[in-house]
Amino acid sequence: MKHLSKLAFGQRKVILALFIISLIIGGTIIGQAYFFVAIVDRIFLEQQSFQEIVPLLAGLLLVLAGRAGFTWLHGRTGVKMAARAKSHFRQAIIKKFSRNPIQASLKGQSGRKVSVLMDSVDEIDGYFSNYVPQMIQTAVIPLMILIVVFTQHIYSGLIMLITAPFIPFFMAIVGVMTKKKSEEQMEKLSAFSGKFLDTLQGLTTLKLFGRAQKQKDEIEKSSLGFRDATMGVLKVAFISSLMLEFISMLSIGLIALEIAIRLVVYESIPFFSAFFILVLAPEFYLTLKDFGSAFHTGRGSSGAANQLAEELSETESYVEWGEEKLSAGSNPPFLELENVHFSYGKEEGLFALENIQATIPAYSQTAIVGRSGSGKSTLLHVVAGLIQPSEGQVKVNGEVLSFYQEHEWFKEVSYISQHPYLFSGTIAENIAIGGRGDHTMNDIKAAAQRAGIAELIESLERGYETPVGEAGRGLSGGEKQRLAIARAFLKRPSVILFDEPTTGLDLKTERILQESMKELSKTSTVITVAHRLHTIKNADQILFLDQGNLAALGPHEVLMERHPEYKEMVRLQQGGTPA
Amino acid sequence: MKDISQMIKLVAIEKKDVLLSILFGFLAGMAAVGLFASSGYLISRAALVPPLYALTVLIAFLKLFGFARALGRYAERYYSHRATFTMLSNIRVAFFEKLEPYAPRVFQKYRSGDLLARIVGDVESLQNFFLRVYYPPVVLVVIFLSTIVFTSVFSTSIAIVLLLGLTLTGVFVPFLFSLRQRTIENRVRESRGELSIDVTEFLYGFRDLKIYQQLEDKEERLHESSSSYIREQEREGMQRIFSHSVNTLVSLLISWVVLGLGAYLVARGDLNGLFLAMLVMISLTVFENATPMAVLPSHLEDSKRASRRLFSIGDEMIEDNGRLHLAGGESYGFELSGVDFRFPEEERQTLQQVNLKIPAGSKTALVGPSGSGKSTLLQLLLKIHTPNQGEILLNEHPMAQIDEESVWSKSNVVLQENHFFFGTVRENLQLAKDDLTDEQMLDALRDVELGSFQLDYPVFEKGENLSGGEKQRLAMARALLKGEQLWILDEPTSSIDALTERKIYERLFNQAEKDTLILVSHRLTGLELMDQIIVMDEGTIVEKGTYNELMHKQGYFYEMKQIEKTIFG
Ligand SMILES: Nc1ncnc2c1ncn2[C@@H]1O[C@H](COP(=O)(O)OP(=O)(O)OP(=O)(O)O)[C@@H](O)[C@H]1O
Ligand SMILES: Nc1ncnc2c1ncn2[C@@H]1O[C@H](COP(=O)(O)OP(=O)(O)OP(=O)(O)O)[C@@H](O)[C@H]1O
Ligand SMILES: [Mg+2]
Ligand SMILES: [Mg+2]
Repeated sequence: MKHLSKLAFGQRKVILALFIISLIIGGTIIGQAYFFVAIVDRIFLEQQSFQEIVPLLAGLLLVLAGRAGFTWLHGRTGVKMAARAKSHFRQAIIKKFSRNPIQASLKGQSGRKVSVLMDSVDEIDGYFSNYVPQMIQTAVIPLMILIVVFTQHIYSGLIMLITAPFIPFFMAIVGVMTKKKSEEQMEKLSAFSGKFLDTLQGLTTLKLFGRAQKQKDEIEKSSLGFRDATMGVLKVAFISSLMLEFISMLSIGLIALEIAIRLVVYESIPFFSAFFILVLAPEFYLTLKDFGSAFHTGRGSSGAANQLAEELSETESYVEWGEEKLSAGSNPPFLELENVHFSYGKEEGLFALENIQATIPAYSQTAIVGRSGSGKSTLLHVVAGLIQPSEGQVKVNGEVLSFYQEHEWFKEVSYISQHPYLFSGTIAENIAIGGRGDHTMNDIKAAAQRAGIAELIESLERGYETPVGEAGRGLSGGEKQRLAIARAFLKRPSVILFDEPTTGLDLKTERILQESMKELSKTSTVITVAHRLHTIKNADQILFLDQGNLAALGPHEVLMERHPEYKEMVRLQQGGTPA
Repeated sequence: MKDISQMIKLVAIEKKDVLLSILFGFLAGMAAVGLFASSGYLISRAALVPPLYALTVLIAFLKLFGFARALGRYAERYYSHRATFTMLSNIRVAFFEKLEPYAPRVFQKYRSGDLLARIVGDVESLQNFFLRVYYPPVVLVVIFLSTIVFTSVFSTSIAIVLLLGLTLTGVFVPFLFSLRQRTIENRVRESRGELSIDVTEFLYGFRDLKIYQQLEDKEERLHESSSSYIREQEREGMQRIFSHSVNTLVSLLISWVVLGLGAYLVARGDLNGLFLAMLVMISLTVFENATPMAVLPSHLEDSKRASRRLFSIGDEMIEDNGRLHLAGGESYGFELSGVDFRFPEEERQTLQQVNLKIPAGSKTALVGPSGSGKSTLLQLLLKIHTPNQGEILLNEHPMAQIDEESVWSKSNVVLQENHFFFGTVRENLQLAKDDLTDEQMLDALRDVELGSFQLDYPVFEKGENLSGGEKQRLAMARALLKGEQLWILDEPTSSIDALTERKIYERLFNQAEKDTLILVSHRLTGLELMDQIIVMDEGTIVEKGTYNELMHKQGYFYEMKQIEKTIFG
């Protein structure tokens, strides 16, 4: 709860305001009891006339209005404070998510992350809108009441003084339980979100495998799990308020008994004081009880805060970037791979790129070739600066990549990945995302033309304004690919990294694409993960990867001569039969 | 009102808990009134120095009421929350059930983040429907009526004041706020949905955003959605606090009137002064139940919005009427005659006049340019879509009569894009069939050249830690494990190198020797072995025949083959 309390009590002015308002509310509570008792006393025992109590009634009216008004003010302050706190946390989480390196972004379930950002942050609310204001009230009001009671009748004051500490003591015990339980509850909620979103994405797959029912059962289980966790938290809350209720009831009973005996047997206390205390005592315990449930809420919030803190504290190995500009000369950059190593996890024995060494001159075309899983896409990620080599370096124009500003580098690069994501939006927006922001609609159309998708787009009723992605029109596999390729054509980058699609490009559009690529390569350095012989033959050099190692490097003809494995692969690609 | 009637139906299922909540809510409320009434009476009585036994009896009553209130409150809370959260859980499941038949078209209408927001946020917010809207008014009315009857024994005019107070706090003030509610549009639910949508897309499209350097813009946008969500919440919070305070004020004023009136009556001698304290105490306590009524309209409105968002889904679903179940253990043949298909909301026909015969046990290849309708045709064969015209026969039965799930359960499908679930390789393979042994799964992995994978190897969401080809091979392994007799494969090896592809196909054709196999292929090599090749263009079948026939004919296929040569070799 430390972080939360720092955040709350750091806002001195607000806290001070809450204190002052609490003092006033305390005053109105006492005032209300006073006027009320005084009126009954005068009418009932002193048998005064109605006219005589009119001023008291007026006073009471004022106090009641004050109580309602200041309670409102108090609540408002809490709500505002909560809004600020939530905004603080959510901004931190958003920032964290957007700074995440690619590797870290892939881990975990998206639904879970959404839940942390939405639900856990919302859960913080209670701490600020409820717990803190209530805590301040509890620090002020019972004390004020106690002082007043002491002035009236010492013994009642003593009873209050002795019984009151039971409440915080009991709460502390319950609090420990609550925190653990509510952490569990938040965890269950995130788990549910994670499960639901993942299931949703794979719903078709599930149905085709006849697993929809089973998945429904699992959703149900997860949902019931969340219910049970929620009930777990609530049961503690209810039990604790039951206990607090008992404590306060016994205490009030004790006070009443003591007063009654003094009133009746000893006649040592005036009716006014007795009644006054009897009205004040429930208010005293009520504030404490309210604090009990607020405390509960607060513990719940701090459970969520822990979850947030955990998310925020996870340190990632960020890709390093520098401060330099990438001098945009007339030539596209040349690249060097020096002794590049990278692993997805050495300890776990996961895939590793080892010792990749290559020079990629400006204007050249390089093809990365290799079997599935040999590390082609991984290498492209390294070159793109999406992941950082663990050893060795990628150099651009003779300087390590991390020497340049991230922005400067990506400005020059177009990376067409193997599985591009279509954003929910219009076709034009989806192409525009690849540009530099200075394009016109005509540029977008030209890019679509070069990617061989213009014909399709123009045949649609709404053309470039057709919504695609989620909540949009579906596209065929190849159409999606081409839409992504259009992004690169819009940018006219000086470095092109292209994970060549093998999927569904028909041979007609293939021609259009080849033309366009040729045109692009006139002004840029191109690295392609190549599947087509055409691309391979056109390349100035081939990087032949085998299980993360650079098995061969050189032009196609040379490799064909010297590397039987390479030759075999190419032969098969052309439809030859295995030797 | 339809949205709320759905909710009420759901509440009815938890009848028992609802009744118990009402019962205990009433008990607790009455006990509280009794408690304060008797304490007011006690003190007044004590002032008159009564005999001690009278006091003892009163104090005993006091304790009784005290315990009854505490226990009643506890039981009320317990039952009402249990009912509520069970209901919420049911709603979540019901929501998923409604959503499920939508696949695979669900994302043409909804966005994942939106659906997530609905099933989590909107469902959660419905707890207020039961806890604050549904049963509390019932409890309130019963408590008030009992109290008023009790009070009228002592003073009719005070009973009338209480009755007025009830209408004021329980009906009039809430009504005013509900009028106000209508004029200020409350967008908490919607803004929450928007934030959820933005975050989800941000996470899913993270890599592309990074590559295109759009992260900052999107981050900015997230901050904005978050702020507007928080602003809406704040506004709602403020409104509730305001309504609550107003109702508190009104109820305090009523107690004030009770006191004033009581004092006046006592002064005039119309009321015994002994009861004055008691009556005021009663009034103060009984209105504690009424103040939450002020926030009822706001919760009601919120619940309406939430349930509209939840229950509107699935309204336009067409139910599958197929009753016929495929027997299994046979191979399947298709016959399509005059099939037209148009995606809803699309003006163009995606498939036109498709006539096709796929004999049982045959091997068919489907080729054609991108967007020519190959995947769509497969979806029709799987009854994922139904034709607008024409008929599809599966083993002589009209497709419309066959239960869709039965079709799926009998086919081994590899889609163009396959989903992998967060978990392990084992969990993703186990989808294929129940009771798979580790050996079977390892064999299947070896068959698709993934022998190096361990079953406990983690799979990230959407298989993000697998290479393109590995994903396809894992999907193929799943299909091999399922081992049914109809194969529907949509470019299953497009990201796989030729050597690996060849090995996989060898095993596939081995296993599928007697089965019907329909394969979409982007490559035209290796099609010599197929029984027939269907060439599609722009939604129609332009050619069909065996490899040799088509090559001989020198038509469309031959031409494609020529172009391919220039590209691949
Ligand atoms: N995020 C990741 N975490 C762990 N391992 C990964 C991750 N991404 C990829 N791998 C593994 O690294 C290896 C190389 O993957 P990569 O995507 O580079 O292959 P590829 O050569 O592009 O293959 P393909 O042609 O099939 O796309 C694979 O075995 C893959 O499982
Ligand atoms: N959900 C949809 N709504 C509307 N149109 C669609 C939808 N899905 C696909 N289409 C359109 O239907 C046509 C056929 O698509 P289909 O996916 O069947 O092509 P395909 O032959 O499989 O192509 P590819 O080889 O690129 O995968 C395309 O023009 C595509 O844009
Ligand atoms: Mg790859
Ligand atoms: Mg397709």
